[in-house]
This record gives sequence, structure tokens and C-alpha cells, in this order.
Amino acid sequence: MSKNAEQWQARPNFPSTHYVDARIYSDQQVFEEEKEKLFRPAWIIACHESEIPSAFDYRLFTHPAGVPLIAVRGDDNKVRAFYNICPHRGNTLLYDPAGNAKRVTCIFHQWSFDTRGACIDISRAEQGYQDRFCKEDASLREVRCEVGFGGFVWVNVSDDAPPLAEFLGGAMDILAPFLEEPLEVFHFHKAHVRTNFKLWHDTNSEFYHDYLHYFNRITGMMQPGYFERKYTGFPNGHATVGSMQIKYDKYEGSKERAVGWPGLAPGGWFMVDVFPGMTYNLRTSVLRMDAVVPLGPNEVVIEFRGLGLKRDTPKERAERIFDHNMIWGPFGRNLHEDLLAVHGQGRALHAGGDARWILQGREENSTIHDEIGMRHYYAEWARRMGRPPFDPFREGKPEPVRAVA
Amino acid sequence: MANPEQRQAIEELVYRSCLALDARDFKGFLALCEEDFQYTITTYSPEIRKDMVWLDHDRKGLDTLLTNLPRHNSDQSPITRHATVYTVDVGDGTATVVSALQVFRTQLDGGASELFAVGHFHDTVKLNGAGPKLAKRVVKLDTRLLGYGYHIPF
Repeated sequence: MSKNAEQWQARPNFPSTHYVDARIYSDQQVFEEEKEKLFRPAWIIACHESEIPSAFDYRLFTHPAGVPLIAVRGDDNKVRAFYNICPHRGNTLLYDPAGNAKRVTCIFHQWSFDTRGACIDISRAEQGYQDRFCKEDASLREVRCEVGFGGFVWVNVSDDAPPLAEFLGGAMDILAPFLEEPLEVFHFHKAHVRTNFKLWHDTNSEFYHDYLHYFNRITGMMQPGYFERKYTGFPNGHATVGSMQIKYDKYEGSKERAVGWPGLAPGGWFMVDVFPGMTYNLRTSVLRMDAVVPLGPNEVVIEFRGLGLKRDTPKERAERIFDHNMIWGPFGRNLHEDLLAVHGQGRALHAGGDARWILQGREENSTIHDEIGMRHYYAEWARRMGRPPFDPFREGKPEPVRAVA
Repeated sequence: MANPEQRQAIEELVYRSCLALDARDFKGFLALCEEDFQYTITTYSPEIRKDMVWLDHDRKGLDTLLTNLPRHNSDQSPITRHATVYTVDVGDGTATVVSALQVFRTQLDGGASELFAVGHFHDTVKLNGAGPKLAKRVVKLDTRLLGYGYHIPF
């Protein structure tokens, strides 16, 4: 029996922790608040240290809060991050997405800066500024930067945020044994999708969409123990999923995976979802990193990286790349299905589309088809946004902001 | 330098390969390829300053991939490959062929077409036997932003 309008609008018969108002995926005001309250205080992955291996190497990054950033390795080998904004007239300082620059020189009026953020030259300074303004007044805005947890370059644009390790809490402990060796990025691409950034993270926070990848996953789902793996929630909205032995070699077209990953059992798989929009995904021979850069309530760029070991031989690297591409590459069997699904959600959940509730009601003892991963995320969302996702516009009767998933 | 007949046959091979893939006639495409055919998609990332391989299959691997495609959830919007053969250099029983490639995607609902990707085919063509056949195809993509993507190789 189908629903009429009133039934469609009615709240689901679940606890309020088990569904969200669909408008949190399309509302402009919610999105603007999310940038300030979720992303600005958070530690965000800008790039990987292997992308800037030498002194003066730099990498540009648009922070999800909207700030254009430069991550640069200084002459002292330390990685720092600055606004990619000239303090003079607001021009972009560096244009290419990556490169090497001993001096950062603005093309507009040739003001120059070193890789520690100090202004080292102002064109015709004395003639124009006399003694009213000098190089010391023109430093770059530095933001906090730490390198860690697999060699990723993390940035935080809030000066008063807690340190990275405190932000992550114990969420990375599950992956720490596998991230001891230096890593190297071999794959990078972006996907620009008309959908809300949270929908991508939702997809990374539940395995119930195994059915989206039915052809890939059916052999896995038939294995003993597949459904016993559990989600574990951590403070600040992070969550992990324990290992399983996946059998992609049973997927026609796969080959036996010989290269593996140090310490990881063959066919092992670990995931760490980092709030508010990054995911570590370690599978068999490849570490994948997803990082969202939201552009609007219904528009997101997702950055995908594939990493292997820095010490890989050419043969080992080629095997990792093959493994990566078969499932996670732009023409791989898995990624397009995930992207197609969130694209479809974006089509249906746009503002004015009358989507009403998004259900997160599955309870299976916190195992992988339980939707607790999403519920854990939205508990943190509620804490930071100061309102419940099931009633983001305070239209219902007053209820306490939920704290427990 | 290819003689006019060789060039015409090679150009037709490239164009027929596009038509076959556009029509999702994967058997027809593979019929244009040698038994030791190798297919690769590459691109360069200015972000990580590295050449990348996005797909790399021998004929058997490509055959399996194309056979499995209907079993996946895929975007069903048709894509159209527009190739223009730029250069044909004939060597000892083979030709190296460089073609410009433009790929358009047409939406099923409304039929709007949009440019999806640009790049080049770098083909190695064997000239032995009844007619030219593809021995190797390297698709060098300039476009790296493919939206929500596509399953079928270019």
C-alpha cells in the first residue's frame, strides 16, 4: 500500500536517533553552518607527504571551509601550511596544484615570501610605504599542520583546536600497525558529484550497500564471519570497521594477490571513517584515502588517493596499481557504483524534491549491516551543530540533542 | 610513411573500433584486436606530479572485464567516441598510429550531449594477415575529472 502526503510526512516509527530529516542534505543554511561548525574546527587531510618529498615542494589544497591553502616543505624539511592569499591585495599566490618554489612570489606586484611564511621582499617598499609598513607586517597566515597517521599532511585552520592525536582519539589504533612504513601516493583523482558530502561519508559508514556491489561482494557475503565484523565508534564522530578476509580472487577476472601489505593477513580489510569526511580504506595491497571537499549543499568534490609502500619494487607497485584499478580506479568495478548511487541520492534529495526522512534504523548488534556507523556520525553532527538532525529546523516538539548513537 | 591504401585501412580500423565500443559490441571490438592485444589507460596527474595507469589489461583481462560489465550497476547514458587519425608511421610489419579522441556522453532523459573526456589513442597496429589489427592501444587521457564515472573503457 502506498503512502499519501500526510503519511509521507509522518515521522518514522523509530527512535529519533534512527532517522534524519532529508533536508540536512540540501539546505543552504545547514550547509553554511556545517562549514563553520564541522569543517573549520576539524583536522583535515590536505595531501600526503610523498607529494612534497623535497625541500620547497608545495601542494595546493582547498580546505572544506573554503580557505585556499598551500602545504609546503621548508628548507628545514618541515611541512607547513599557509593561506594561498597574498596579504597585499588578496591575489592567489601559487596557481599550479603542485610544484617547487624556493620563493613564493605573487605575480601581481612581486611580493615574495619564503617557505616559513615570512615576507622577504616588497617591491619599492620604501618609496611607497616609507616607515609605515614593512616586510614584518606582511607575513603569510600560517595554519596548524601536522604530518602523521600514514604520512598524511593534516591541517587545521582553527588556532585553538586540540592537537591532531587528541582529535583522532583512538580511532587510528586499529590501523597503526599497518602504517609504520613510509607510504607513497601512486594514484590521485577527483570526482565532482552533484550530491551532499555527508552522503558519501554515509556510504563509507555502512556496508549494507553490499547489495549495490552485489556482483563484487556476493562471494564475500557467503563467507563465514562476513556479517560478524563490527563497527566501533570513537569520540568526535570517528568509527572503524575491523578486518575480514575478502575473496576478490573469487571475483571473475581477479588474480591471486601476491604483493599484500605488511602485517595484514591476505584478503584483510580495515576501514577508519574520520569525521567529518575522510576515510582510510586498507584492503589487501592498497591504502585508499577519500577526502571530501564540499562545494555546496548538493555539490561535492571527492579526492581519491591510492597508496603503496615507498619501498615497492616496480613489480610490486604495478601489482598494487592493478589491484587498485580493478576495484577502486576510475574505471574500476566498485567506485563507479558508489558514485552512481550518491549521484542518484543527489538527484532525489535536492531542495524542494520533497524527500522527507532518511532511515538509519538497522540494528544488528553493531555489525556491518547495522547502521550504527551513520548514527554515530550524526550524534557528533548534532553535538557540533547544536541541533538534532531529525529536527534541524526545530519544527517538532522540543527534544534533547542526542548524545548517544 | 603509409601508402594511401594502408592509411585508409588503418584509419578504418580505428574508426571501427570506436563504433564497436560505442555500440557496446564488445565481441566486435575484440575481433579487431590481435590475440596478444594490450589495452591501457594512462594519464598524468599535475597534482601528484606522476604518470598514472588507470586500467591495464591483456586481451583475456579485457574480455573478462567487458563480459562482466552487464552484471554491474552502471550509468546507461551512451557515450560516443570521436577519433581523428593524426599520424600513421609504418615500420616493420606494424604501424604506430596517433589519434585525437573526444568522448561525448548523451543523457538518456532529454538527450543532452556533453563533452566527457579528451585524450589520444596511441595504437600499435599489426599489418600482417588479411587486414590491420590492433596489437596495442594506449589511451592517454587529458581529462581526469569524470564526474560519477563510467564503467566502459574508452
